[in-house]
Amino acid sequence: MIFTPTIIARLVALGLVAAVAQVTCFAKMDVFGASPDFALLVVISLGLLGGSLTGAVAGFSIGLLIDCLLLQTLGAFALTMLTVGYVAGRYRENIGAPRRWAVLILGGALTLLGAVVIAAVQIGTGVDADVSFLVVRDAVVKSLIGAVLAVPVLLLVRLVVRPALIDERRASRRRPVAPRTAETQ
Amino acid sequence: MYRKQVRRRRAVLVALLVVSLILISISFSEAQSGPLHTMQRGIASVLSPLEEGAERALKPARDLVSWFDETFDARGENEELRDEVAELRSQLADAQSAVGENEQLREQLEVRQTAALGGFEPVTGRVIGRSPTVWYSTVTIDKGTSAGIRVNDPVVAADGLAGRITQTTPNTAQVTLITDSESSVTARVLPDGATGVVEPNIGDPTDLQLDFLERGSDIGEGQMVVTAGFSTGDLGSIFPPGIPIGEITQATLEEQQAYQRVHLDAFADLRDMNFVRVLTEAGGGSR
Repeated sequence: MIFTPTIIARLVALGLVAAVAQVTCFAKMDVFGASPDFALLVVISLGLLGGSLTGAVAGFSIGLLIDCLLLQTLGAFALTMLTVGYVAGRYRENIGAPRRWAVLILGGALTLLGAVVIAAVQIGTGVDADVSFLVVRDAVVKSLIGAVLAVPVLLLVRLVVRPALIDERRASRRRPVAPRTAETQ
Repeated sequence: MYRKQVRRRRAVLVALLVVSLILISISFSEAQSGPLHTMQRGIASVLSPLEEGAERALKPARDLVSWFDETFDARGENEELRDEVAELRSQLADAQSAVGENEQLREQLEVRQTAALGGFEPVTGRVIGRSPTVWYSTVTIDKGTSAGIRVNDPVVAADGLAGRITQTTPNTAQVTLITDSESSVTARVLPDGATGVVEPNIGDPTDLQLDFLERGSDIGEGQMVVTAGFSTGDLGSIFPPGIPIGEITQATLEEQQAYQRVHLDAFADLRDMNFVRVLTEAGGGSR
């Protein structure tokens, strides 16, 4: 990813919109007892498009913003999203740009990873109540929703950061030049 | 060149990990008035107008998704509701005769009508944010200290107790719901009066537990649970007595004897609240 002031501004705006939309809209949705993790999918998309560093920094920033918006334990979501963004980025660096079916699987698997990390943070910091088996169901449903939404969210994020993507620039350079018509000649 | 990039990447990752862990650690150890919490509240306060705007703007999209989900759920609920209507009809007949008796007894005893929530000024707040994970059961409302809301003020929804205020900014407040792991409410079972502590079962918002019941209490399904609102010297419950919490859904003799525990379902629909009422102290006194 090529970072210019415009791209950084776009990324900041994207992060802000993702965090606010997650807290005010997606977290309040109830789809088969769970809610979509839109902000996490944005972080996954940024990792898949920009690599591990972009994924980690975006994850940390968006996670920290969510922690602040909800007045919750500062750093819990930052750590979760940082981990997920980094893993998504490592996939990009080691395997390459994912195909659509791979995005689908990655969306589900990395959402599940996010649920595992937040659970580990909670258990690590101490939980003063009984934990129902339904947390597993919640994580599974969330990851299925993540799989379904992964491709549209990736396309949306790609649209926002398109000028910064090295692959897109290469592709546009390779694009054949249209033959001149008789009029222009 | 490549090695330099790898080193830089690792350094940034380690730095972010360390910062996250430090923040979590400080967040737990620091007082609410500490600099980190103050900064957190400052950011939340600055972004609260954006949150409010987004909440209103995105409501149609949220309602559309909820409509699909509710339609799906409604098919299953239809059968259950038919059974419930039949049961409620028979209960209504009993209740109507009880109302008449009650009126007569009231007149005879000259019972003064005292409001259970007397001494509190309710402030209505709109739910603008919600935690995206089952591990935190918190919501953010669009009213804060400028509306007279303080930490530990009780919060009620349309049908019953919702939780309490745990953090405030001038324009927003965090409500920790009764389904949060940090929540516990002293409660009383009606009409017997057996007391216990309502605690959550993380991951299952429809299942609360009434723990630490007195041995020998005879509790059955369908009994109502309300806040106990105890007071012992300087120590008192932050919840006033008599706020409905839920209905006993599972009360096996074995579990009552072995664990002194029964299960209940909250009256308030904690997953789908748009408005709540915060019970602030009328005189604005400190809690």
